[in-house]
Amino acid sequence: MKHSFQLPMRHAVRVAPVLAALALGVLGAWAALPATAAGLASAAVPAPATGPAPGSAAVAGFTFVKSVGGIDEYTLTGNGLTVLLAPDHSAPVVTFQVTYRVGSRNEVTGTTGATHLLEHLMFKGSENFNDPKGNSVKQYLERVGGQFNASTSVDRTNYFATIGRENLEGYVAIEADRMRHLWLHEADLKSEMTVVRNEFERGKNDPDSVLMEEVTAAAYVALPYHHPTIGWRSDIEHVPIEKLHEFYDTFYWPNNATVSIVGDVDPAAALGLVKKYYGAFTRSPQPIPAIYTEEPEQTGARRVVIKRPGELGTVVIAHKVPNGRDADQPALDMLDAILSSGKNARLYRALVDKGLALNAGAGTDLHRDLSLHSLYASLAPGSTHEEVEQALLEELDKIKTKGVTAAEVARVKQQYVAADAYKRDGTAAKASELNEWIAVGDWTLYVTFPEKVLEVTPADVQRVARQYFAPDQSTTGWFVPVPSVAEKGS
Amino acid sequence: MRRFVCTLGGLSLLLLVNAAARAGMAEKSHRESIDAIDVITYPTAVKDVVVILGALPAGDAMGSGGNIAVPTLAGSMLDRGTKALDKFAIAGELDDVGASIAFEVGTQSLEIRAKCLKKDLPLVLGLIAAELRTPALSTAEFAKAKQQFIGSLEASLENTETRAGEAFGRAVYAEGSPNRPHTVAEYLTAAKSATLEETKAFIAKYYGPAHLTLVLAGDVSPSVTHAEVARVFAGWTGGQDYIRPAGAGVSPGPQDIAVPLSGKPSATVMLGQATGLTYRDPDALALRVGTAVLGHGFTGRLMGTVRDKEGLTYSIGAGMADDSIADGDWEIQASFAPALLERGIASTRRELDKWWSEGITEAELAERKQGLVGGYFVGLSTTGGVANTILTSIQRGYDVSWLDQYPQAVNALTRAQVNGAIKTHLNPGTMVLVKAGSLPAAGPPAAR
Repeated sequence: MKHSFQLPMRHAVRVAPVLAALALGVLGAWAALPATAAGLASAAVPAPATGPAPGSAAVAGFTFVKSVGGIDEYTLTGNGLTVLLAPDHSAPVVTFQVTYRVGSRNEVTGTTGATHLLEHLMFKGSENFNDPKGNSVKQYLERVGGQFNASTSVDRTNYFATIGRENLEGYVAIEADRMRHLWLHEADLKSEMTVVRNEFERGKNDPDSVLMEEVTAAAYVALPYHHPTIGWRSDIEHVPIEKLHEFYDTFYWPNNATVSIVGDVDPAAALGLVKKYYGAFTRSPQPIPAIYTEEPEQTGARRVVIKRPGELGTVVIAHKVPNGRDADQPALDMLDAILSSGKNARLYRALVDKGLALNAGAGTDLHRDLSLHSLYASLAPGSTHEEVEQALLEELDKIKTKGVTAAEVARVKQQYVAADAYKRDGTAAKASELNEWIAVGDWTLYVTFPEKVLEVTPADVQRVARQYFAPDQSTTGWFVPVPSVAEKGS
Repeated sequence: MRRFVCTLGGLSLLLLVNAAARAGMAEKSHRESIDAIDVITYPTAVKDVVVILGALPAGDAMGSGGNIAVPTLAGSMLDRGTKALDKFAIAGELDDVGASIAFEVGTQSLEIRAKCLKKDLPLVLGLIAAELRTPALSTAEFAKAKQQFIGSLEASLENTETRAGEAFGRAVYAEGSPNRPHTVAEYLTAAKSATLEETKAFIAKYYGPAHLTLVLAGDVSPSVTHAEVARVFAGWTGGQDYIRPAGAGVSPGPQDIAVPLSGKPSATVMLGQATGLTYRDPDALALRVGTAVLGHGFTGRLMGTVRDKEGLTYSIGAGMADDSIADGDWEIQASFAPALLERGIASTRRELDKWWSEGITEAELAERKQGLVGGYFVGLSTTGGVANTILTSIQRGYDVSWLDQYPQAVNALTRAQVNGAIKTHLNPGTMVLVKAGSLPAAGPPAAR
């Protein structure tokens, strides 16, 4: 039931926990999401294969696309549905996930939050699976003890469940039915709108969440990342059901979706289930609309200040950086780890250990288009915004002018090697990380991104610091607490 | 400081059932007392990964009678250096192999959470032992720990869930109960006056092998692991048991407590009472299953009506909390916009009253049993899940074999037992209601 601001994969491992609250717009309709997997892996990853890998399934109706790192990609030939298969027989469970390549980036004024509202309405029933029949998605999954959820972010929407392998077919049938046979009733929108509005209100309880929302809105002028995934309040309250119908009929098609199956399955049997339940659907009658908006050049530093009741201040310094697929992202990831991973990280030493901040971190929200990098610090009692902002900037400047050491880079690489083993423990985490790479446009980065991090040099880190963190390209935000009118601590 | 834990109905039950449904957990586990430490190893199918979870009775409750900030300060000093290594050297050793160790202070326990590769287990166990046995406890680091604790306390002053939990716990638990929370203001005062000498004395009294539980799951060899534990903890002495008072709850009668906070568009509501039950009480399981019907998941009655049908909240659930070691409580927790607060509370009470007076149906009981037992595979699908399930069960006073018996215990419950437990141990008419947030002025709720 808890709203989860799920972090992009790199935030999840690198950044102090408080920064989690600042992650951009991932909203779940349902129970708390499983923790995002770290974006980590080892160097020992097979190169992309040109033909079916040993063990890949040959099932009529599917086209084998490629195999990378033990994950096979297929296309359901008749309608363009992408299928990723990652067999894992360590436990008798399977995670089944559908990722739609639609997020709040596809919204415009008046429909902000529509992607998320639609995600909620996807649990209101479909033609063949609904509460009156006693077989709705929540009834089925709770009956079989599944862990399930859905979430919406800027570039994608996903629905998933981890279940006993014997329950897979039942869930695939339900998930497929709601792809094209969803109920979208006015009465359901009316009751669910106030549910979402309370979700919106809960987010507004947290000053840091509000600050990050405003920093993001200032950083992006033209790209739709400007508006929060949950939407503006007035849009949530007034969006008509017709707009949601339109949204559903534009984006919820097999050729705009990727099915991921991770766990204890026989590949041929799993593909057979996908074909059985998704094979009846056609491709979208119209091409999926592309986003052609480009962000104009930023021509000077931007600042945001929010004042509201609270106790401790916050400083965020954000910069737009390339999309999540860009070749510079591994070096940026290395930079963030050196800044914020553990007690030896530079921000810990410079801010936390010196008593300026309670915590500090750095991370990037990876996007399909321009991503957003953030430096963050929560002020310690007695610190000022000015000195904390200055300390953050000084650490960035040190990397620009003096670079990082080979020892720092080597240490981060060792952490990646260990994390490769950790990510093998559990199917849900793997599916979740795949979901985020699907969102930025290349699922194989799940495998290849860590390889690329292991090739990063100290010079690479210094180069990207100089290239992307110019003062004129920054958006700086302060949360300035003002006294509460309530009596405290009684 | 004390963490507020709202176990949304049946969550912990689900974990237990998940674990238990797999026959032979007891056979796969290896339990041994090593220099008074209760060590349980559990090999899983995962390769190279080891998860270590531990619990030592040195939680917030042990601070009562002295400076209440000291247990948290003591726990926060552990990764700030040992007699042999400063904090940066410790972090460097862990970073170099991608391992992690974390300590957290809860109501009754200092909790230990670590993760490493199999080859690094001796290193990580050695660091855990050194941090527990020979923390540096330097004056400079103590000052930093105090500053950070005070800062986190100040931040929590504006958290509606923290403040609601604080007010609720103080209303339903009697003085002397380990579950009775202190206020944030009390913690702040205590933290400011806490001394390093008090912290040293606390560690000397409470940190020791007696009543320490360590669970190691994953790619582990029991014999090798147990030998390593024996090596790194050899010669350690001391330790205290958990606090297990009888009759920790109170029945104060109905109360309506307001905790006004500015700038909070969503209020947190808690409604409940002390149960007088620990997890092992014969009626506790029946009450848990009945509570799951009311407030667990999206097919629970509260979500099905207050959220799905009426659209009054994003989040509502019911559960039993803080009953692993001492008598716990039963609670509903929800969030409402201030303008919908009274309507939300009225709907919640309506569902609660109906559930309490009419009980659950045979169909609801059957479905809930199936879901709980069916979730067994999912709960055991990660090494962390296995380790957590075992540790929780040990803390509740069970042997690992209980996990194999658990599904049968759930399946054996009858509707009469469940409804009887609800009626016997709960009374909606005397429950405590807490509202925390930007509360509306008295009067009828405004139209929205």
